[in-house]
Amino acid sequence: MEPSITTTRSRRLRRTNVALATVLACFLSVTAIAKKTEEEKAAKAAAAQEKLLQVFVSEPYLELSTGPGRGYPVFHVVAREESVDVLSRRTDWFRVRTEGGVEGWARARDMRRTKLADGSPFMFSLGDMAGFTSHDWELAIGGGDYGGANLLGLSAGRSLTDNMKIDFSLSQFLGNASNGWKAEIGLQHVLFPEWRFSPFLTLGTGYVETKPRATIVLPLDREDQTAYAGAGARFYLTRRFFLRADYRWHTIFTSRDDNEELEEWKIQIACFY
Amino acid sequence: MENPNRLLLLAAALCASSYLSGCSVFRKEKVEPPQTEEQAAAEEEAEDADSTPPRVIDPNVTRRKIKTPKIDSENWELGAGLGFMSIEDFGTSSTYAAQFNYHVTEDFFFRADVGQSTAGRTSFETLGGNIELLTGDERRFTYYSLSLGYNFLPGEVFLGRKLAMNSGFYLLTGIGNVTFAGDDHLTINLGAGYRVLPTDWLAIHIGVQDRVFDSDLLGETKVTNNIETLLSVTAFF
Repeated sequence: MEPSITTTRSRRLRRTNVALATVLACFLSVTAIAKKTEEEKAAKAAAAQEKLLQVFVSEPYLELSTGPGRGYPVFHVVAREESVDVLSRRTDWFRVRTEGGVEGWARARDMRRTKLADGSPFMFSLGDMAGFTSHDWELAIGGGDYGGANLLGLSAGRSLTDNMKIDFSLSQFLGNASNGWKAEIGLQHVLFPEWRFSPFLTLGTGYVETKPRATIVLPLDREDQTAYAGAGARFYLTRRFFLRADYRWHTIFTSRDDNEELEEWKIQIACFY
Repeated sequence: MENPNRLLLLAAALCASSYLSGCSVFRKEKVEPPQTEEQAAAEEEAEDADSTPPRVIDPNVTRRKIKTPKIDSENWELGAGLGFMSIEDFGTSSTYAAQFNYHVTEDFFFRADVGQSTAGRTSFETLGGNIELLTGDERRFTYYSLSLGYNFLPGEVFLGRKLAMNSGFYLLTGIGNVTFAGDDHLTINLGAGYRVLPTDWLAIHIGVQDRVFDSDLLGETKVTNNIETLLSVTAFF
């Protein structure tokens, strides 16, 4: 072979290689820059998302009302593929802001059909039977009878698991012989949380302050510790509401020789969240 | 000359024809045996596999995880108000109250409220001269109640041509306690209110509630109706 031919070919090859390398370098740098800007954009979006949740309309449109209720008129419509930022939630309504800066209220039922940025559906708790089985907090108000006295009070519950809850209650009782206050803390074990009518057992301790009424001769205020065991049932009504009926057997550790025993029953309307 | 030539040509032609015509016989091509059904199916599959487009995009991409931020819920409403309390037999006096609402659904809410008023004089005391039925402390009328509210007739109110505000009526009922004249009374409260929202988080309420309890203060036990009218401002949070 003649060396001239080889050199010519290799020179040509070298030129092509250099050209290719330059093009490749340019391409790589451009893609790197593009990637960097993309990453920056993603980081910015992520930072923005940390503050506000962005969801995308996947139905033909999303209606916005002036207020969080069915009586308030629809004043704006967000088209498919457009996004809204979720500002806050009140009951079953979400306050959202559109890309154009319009703020309005969208109902939870419609928001359930929107999508997150990664295409997954926007999930959140709706007040339903599933929520009755599994929730974090519950709040109840109601009344009943405490050893013959009228009882009224409120209670709050914090779920440890679906079955086990910590129960706080604060109540006042108004009787013929005495009035007073009591505060209790206890554990509640719900036997079948998935049942609509679901029984529970309860055990706890508390503090009771009894004031004999002015007309009665013994004007001694009493402050005693109590312990109770009881049973009850919960019945899911609708949305976030359930009824709670409760029986408690109290032992009051009095300063006298004998402990006092009292029966309590009450019925409450409760909600969960 | 012709004959031997002809013979030669003929012989050559014969040789050639025998050779040329049999060219296919000498081809070392493998003759395919007739295909069975299974083989045909297998071949079709292979063809299908070949027909899938080559992988241009590497599917091994790490997905960006979307962290859903916690949505701020505004179901609580806290506020205070001023108004009048008409205490049966003891006239009407000013009252002040604090209220705490928890909105469970768009229709229902829980309310806890507490207030205080000071009872005036009964007509018996006014006409009888220097008679005082109650001491100063006993005239303090303190109350609280736990109620369930129901929102109805939601809508908008228009103030002028450009300003529209959300509004709604609500009904309330509950149980509570009144401390009056040195005694506690179990009360039942019934009421209604009207709520106007200048902004999404601020509400102005005008409400009337009747607090009903049994009282034996004036000799015989009777049911007393104590009507409270309150103007209050609340904020959602």
